[in-house]
Amino acid sequence: MAQIVLDQVDKVYAGGVKAVAELSLDIADGEFMVLVGPSGCGKSTALRLIAGLEELTDGTIQIDDQVVNDLPPKDRDIAMVFQNYALYPHMTVEQNLAFGLQQRKTPKDEIHRRVAGVAKMLGLEDYLKRKPAALSGGQRQRVAMGRAIVREPKAFLMDEPLSNLDAKLRVNMRASLSQLHDRLNVTTVYVTHDQIEAMTLGDRVCVLRDGVLQQVDTPQNLFNHPVNLFVAGFIGSPAMNFTMARLERPDGSGPGAGKAAVSFAGYQLPLSAEMISGRPGLESYFGREVILGIRPSDFEDASLADAGWARMPVTASVTEELGSEILVMFLLDTPPVENKDTAALATDEDEDEAGISLAEGKTLWTARASARSRISAGSGVELSVDTSNLHFFDPESGLTIGSKAGEIPAP
Amino acid sequence: MAIKAPLRRTGPAAAVSAPAAPRGAVAAANWRESLFRRAVTGVVIALALVWLVPVAWTLDTSIKPETSTIIIPATWKVSGPTLSAYSAVFSATDLGRWYLNSAIVTVIVTVLTVITTSMAGYALSRGKFRGKGFLFALILAGIMIPPQALIVPLFRELQSVHLINTYWALILPQVPAPISVFIFKKVFDGVPVEIEQAATVDGAGWWTAYARIALPLVRPTIAAVSIFTFVWTWNNFLWPFLAATSPTMMTIPVGIGTVVSGVGVVNALQMASAVLGALPLVLVFLFAQRQIVEGVAGTGLK
Repeated sequence: MAQIVLDQVDKVYAGGVKAVAELSLDIADGEFMVLVGPSGCGKSTALRLIAGLEELTDGTIQIDDQVVNDLPPKDRDIAMVFQNYALYPHMTVEQNLAFGLQQRKTPKDEIHRRVAGVAKMLGLEDYLKRKPAALSGGQRQRVAMGRAIVREPKAFLMDEPLSNLDAKLRVNMRASLSQLHDRLNVTTVYVTHDQIEAMTLGDRVCVLRDGVLQQVDTPQNLFNHPVNLFVAGFIGSPAMNFTMARLERPDGSGPGAGKAAVSFAGYQLPLSAEMISGRPGLESYFGREVILGIRPSDFEDASLADAGWARMPVTASVTEELGSEILVMFLLDTPPVENKDTAALATDEDEDEAGISLAEGKTLWTARASARSRISAGSGVELSVDTSNLHFFDPESGLTIGSKAGEIPAP
Repeated sequence: MAIKAPLRRTGPAAAVSAPAAPRGAVAAANWRESLFRRAVTGVVIALALVWLVPVAWTLDTSIKPETSTIIIPATWKVSGPTLSAYSAVFSATDLGRWYLNSAIVTVIVTVLTVITTSMAGYALSRGKFRGKGFLFALILAGIMIPPQALIVPLFRELQSVHLINTYWALILPQVPAPISVFIFKKVFDGVPVEIEQAATVDGAGWWTAYARIALPLVRPTIAAVSIFTFVWTWNNFLWPFLAATSPTMMTIPVGIGTVVSGVGVVNALQMASAVLGALPLVLVFLFAQRQIVEGVAGTGLK
C-alpha cells in the first residue's frame, strides 16, 4: 500500500499537444481514486505517467514517498489492468497469473501458492489450464485483475477495465471491484469515462478536462457542490439542466414584492433567504444575468410532491418510462445556454452522429418524476421544484457562485 | 351491414408465403455458377498439368534404362524400369557430402536469418531512437539491390579474411534478408502494444518482452520466413558455386551442375540427380504445407 502524489505534472507530446497540464493530486494510502472525464481529457495519460509507460515533461510523481520519475515501470511496484485486458494470448491462465512473479524471481512454491489463492478468490480455479481465447469477457477481466492482485503491489492502476463488458456484467463487476478493494485495501487509481462508475466506485473522484484538473472530491460533494459548469453538467445522469436567468427582487406592492426570485423563460422561482445566505457572493448577482442549473432529480410531479415547493407548469414533449421513474422532457421558450463549458459537454465521442433536433432554438430540459405519476407525452403537467438545491453559475467564468468546494479545486 | 370475415384456410397450405422467385431465373443463375466453377476447375487442372508434366517426365526418365532415354520419338513408356541411374549417382558422385553441406548451410542460414531479422524487425517496430525511419528506409533500399551486383565485392571481402571454401563463406552472405526485416516489422506493428506494456509493468525487460511475449505471437510469420529462407538457400546456385570451389564444399545445386557438365548428356543420370536434389524440399513442403499457406496468407506475400 502506498500514497501516490502528483506534483505539477505536465505531459506535452510532439507538436505541442498538452495532454496533462500542471496536475497536482494526492492519493492517500488505500484510497480508491477515480479519474473521470470525457475522451481526450488526459485521464489515461495521467495513469500511464504514474505507471511509467509515458515520460513526464515536467513535475514529479511520488509513490510511497519515493520520486519515481526516472524509474522504469517494473521498478515502481505497481500493477496495471488495461482496457482490453492485454492478456498473453499464447499462455494459459495459470501462466498469465504467474508471469509477473517469475520475472521477479519469486520461488516456485510461493508462485504456486499465490496463483492458487488468487484463482480461488476470483473463481478461476476451473480455468487455469485454458488460454484467453477460450474465456468469456468476464473471465478475461477477472484474469486481468488476478494478474494484478497476485503481484501484491503497492498500487493498482486500472484503465477502464469494465468498458468492454456488457451492461449487466459491468454492474456485477463493479460490485466485485468494490468488495475487492474493501478486502485488499490497496491504493487504486481507476480511470473511466463513465460517471456512474466513478460515482459508485470512488472514495474520491477527480474530474479532468483537457488535461486540467477541475475538481476532486467525494462523489456526493461533486454532485451537490460542483465547482463549475463543466463538473455540474458532467456529473449526474440525466445531466443538469441549464438556462440563462436573472436574479430579482420584484418592486411594487404585490405578493412577491421584495422577495428574492430567479426569473427565466417566463417562470419565476422564489429564493429563500436561507438559500441565498448559504451561497456567499450570490447577493452581488441580483439584477444581473446568471446561469441557472436545476438537476432533474429536483423536480417532481406537483400532485405527488411537497406542497411547499415552487411550481412550474410545463408541456411534456417526450416521456421515458424507466419502470422505477419517469423522465419528462419539456421545452423552455429560451435559447440554449451558450458557454464554452456547456459546449464542451455537448461535444463527445459520437459527435459525428447526428441526432434528431427536438429543441429548434429552444432549451430542452429533463425532469425526473415518480413512477406513480400520470404524465404522458403531449400533456400539460405541473412540476414542483426543490428550490433549495438550485445552482448558479457566473456566465463569464462558468464557476459556481458561492460553491463551498470551489474557490480552488481541492488537490 | 354485416362484415364477412375473410375465408381462413387451415392446414399446411394455410401458411402465408412470400411470392416465389421465378424458377427460370434461379435455374439460370445456378447453371451459370456451375459453368463458371467447371471452367475454373478446367483452367486449374491445365495449369497443374503444365507444372506436373515436366516433373513426371523427370521421374519417368530417371527410372528408364539409359538407352531408352534417347529413343526418338520420346515416349512415356518405361520398358524395364531400373534404379541404376540412382545408384550411379551415389557411386559416381559425392551426393551424400553435398546433402550434408546443403543441410548445414540451409539450416544455419534459416536459423540465423529468423533470429536476426526478427530482432531487427522488433527493434524497428517498438524501438524509439533517432534515425529509426532513415534506418528502415536504408534496409528497404537493400531489397532493390540485385544480389548479383554484390557478388564481386562480397567475394573479395571474404577472400581477404580467408573464408572462401568454408561454411562461413556460404552462410554469412545469405543471412541478411531485408525483405524478412520488412515482414517482421510489419507483423510486430500489428501486435497490440498493450500486451508488451503489460509485460513491462509485470517486470519484463526488453529481451523478455521480445522473446517470451512478442515472438510467440508471430509464429506463422516465423514459419513463413523459415520456409522461404530454407527453399531459397537450398536452391541457391550462384553464390555457392563461386564461394565453394572445392568439391567437398559443394551444395546440392552446385554438385548436380557438375554431374550435368562433367559427364555430358546422360539423361537418366541427370534426371536421377535432379530428383534426389529436389527430394528434401518436396518432403518439407509435404510436411509443412499448412504452415506455408498460413504464413503466405499472413504476410500477404505471394
